[in-house]
Amino acid sequence: MTRFLQPALIEARRAPVATVSAITRWRRAWFSSPAMSVLLLLSAAIVIPLGWRFLRWALVDAHWLGDSSAACPGDQGACWAFVIARWKPWLVGNYPSDQLWRAWACFAAFSLFWIWVMQRSRTASLQGVLLGFLLLPTAFMALLLGSGVLPFVAPNQWGGLLLTLIATLVTFATALPLGLALALGRRSTLPVVRWFCAGFVEGMRSVPLLVVLFIAATLLPMFLPNGLGLDLFTRALVAFALFNAAMAAEVFRGGLQLVGRGQLEAATTVGLGRTATLALVVLPQALRAVVPALVNIMIAVIKETTLLSVIGVNDFLGAVENGAKSPDWSGESNILTSGHVFLALAYFAACFALSHYSRRLETTR
Amino acid sequence: MNDNTEPSAVMVRMAGLNKWYGDYHALRDIDLQVESGQRIVICGPSGSGKSTLVRTVNLLEPFQQGSLRVCGLDVSADRITRAARLALNRRVGMVFQQFNLFPHMTVMQNLTVGPVWGHGVSRREADQRATHYLDRVGLLAHAHKHPAQLSGGQQQRVAIARTLCTQPQVVLFDEPTASLDPEMVNEVLQTMESLAHDGMTMMIVTHEMGFARRVADRVVFMDQGQIIESASPADFFENPQSPRLKSFLGQVLQH
Repeated sequence: MTRFLQPALIEARRAPVATVSAITRWRRAWFSSPAMSVLLLLSAAIVIPLGWRFLRWALVDAHWLGDSSAACPGDQGACWAFVIARWKPWLVGNYPSDQLWRAWACFAAFSLFWIWVMQRSRTASLQGVLLGFLLLPTAFMALLLGSGVLPFVAPNQWGGLLLTLIATLVTFATALPLGLALALGRRSTLPVVRWFCAGFVEGMRSVPLLVVLFIAATLLPMFLPNGLGLDLFTRALVAFALFNAAMAAEVFRGGLQLVGRGQLEAATTVGLGRTATLALVVLPQALRAVVPALVNIMIAVIKETTLLSVIGVNDFLGAVENGAKSPDWSGESNILTSGHVFLALAYFAACFALSHYSRRLETTR
Repeated sequence: MNDNTEPSAVMVRMAGLNKWYGDYHALRDIDLQVESGQRIVICGPSGSGKSTLVRTVNLLEPFQQGSLRVCGLDVSADRITRAARLALNRRVGMVFQQFNLFPHMTVMQNLTVGPVWGHGVSRREADQRATHYLDRVGLLAHAHKHPAQLSGGQQQRVAIARTLCTQPQVVLFDEPTASLDPEMVNEVLQTMESLAHDGMTMMIVTHEMGFARRVADRVVFMDQGQIIESASPADFFENPQSPRLKSFLGQVLQH
């Protein structure tokens, strides 16, 4: 190789040290122009009083303890007593008390899994994470349903956060592989496969999820053979899986299109057949490109699961709302509002954690 | 068909080959024969069909008329299947203008993936081959890097090593230096020259006329999908016959 350069490296000079004081820099960042200053003060004038009011409602005037609506007189402060006293229903629903360890085991296993995911180095491969998202829901379903030594617990006894967690994880584990299959099917050389996949994806994308859920809840039982009496929760999971598979299929399709023709030609010229090309050249590049978009779908799924309460499944939202209808807690509208604020915070924490994780992946790839 | 390795064996033969892109007639009545160990350089103005010609040799482009015989495999226009293309590509190597290395793999993985998953070579043997050819192109120290960490010239040399690892009987080069910065062209040309010295059968599309003069056994000039002239480098450059080639050489040899 030819080298045209000087034999020795030239010493680099240091960049000058900033001479601007911290206060000046702060002033430049926040009050860079008169217009910006006005905007800042205006937003402060709106945000600070509102924030103060919320904090007063949520902390200062809040009622923390008690086991009925009598603990929260009036509508001045938040009624956290409602959330605290009814921790069991919103956490696990009507899961039998003597079998509760199974629910705790699921929560613990998922927490450990998530801690492991978050502390991994940014460049580590994602295979373990993907495998976890496939295996965990299978294991959780088996443990919570139970058979043989473990007494059977029907899904209609599950509820609350537990049910939401399972619904979310099962949807990930079914919708993502199915979506990949649909995306590959749309590129198939067989016209029948191609049309079926395209038709399914476009059809699903054009129907509201709530409608799909209602159909799954009411119409599906009429088409299934009588022996196959799927319960409501399972039917809802099927609806989630199919709907989100169509969403994921579009994401995967975008990823597959990113892998250019040159890559396919190169794979052919080194002797790789179709399957090897797909597994070794196309998918690794396509999947890496769509991870952030897939996380977006996962965030959407977490929030979508609240629709379960609409068709009468006792999910996280449903459990809190049912609590506010129970005789002990009915009456004050403040109670349900507190429940909703609590839900908003819980969903925010889950979705924020995921989007934080996704941003971390984006910056490393 | 084991007799295709003897010195004078025909490696590539195109007879009456025609190709269309829709209505556009890209290759017209191509008759071309490449014998084992020959280096053929193909040149011509852009759009003359020279890239299409070499891409037809390994069926990256299908053709509609005529016949093709490569490394003992016969392909006729109506029997171009995925299987035929794969079988042919297991005997023919190719180096692309845009390198087309696999960006998610290390250099070493780029070199071994074809032999292991396409040719059924053992992992150990594939590693040995990769090490050997990587050393030959002078990049053994970069084995663990990803393509994006290498310069254009280095990437193209990795691409050459990658194709050699599949032990092809013919190697096709589709403008291998056209997307390189000028100071990197030489390192790639030198690698190709050393390959030529080892007796590799090569078909090279290039605008590097100095390289053609030094290395080629025969230089082919194409225009509008036809082979206009095909001659030894000496005749080709000193004694061009057709007016089109004369004006082409006038253009490219000015500087």
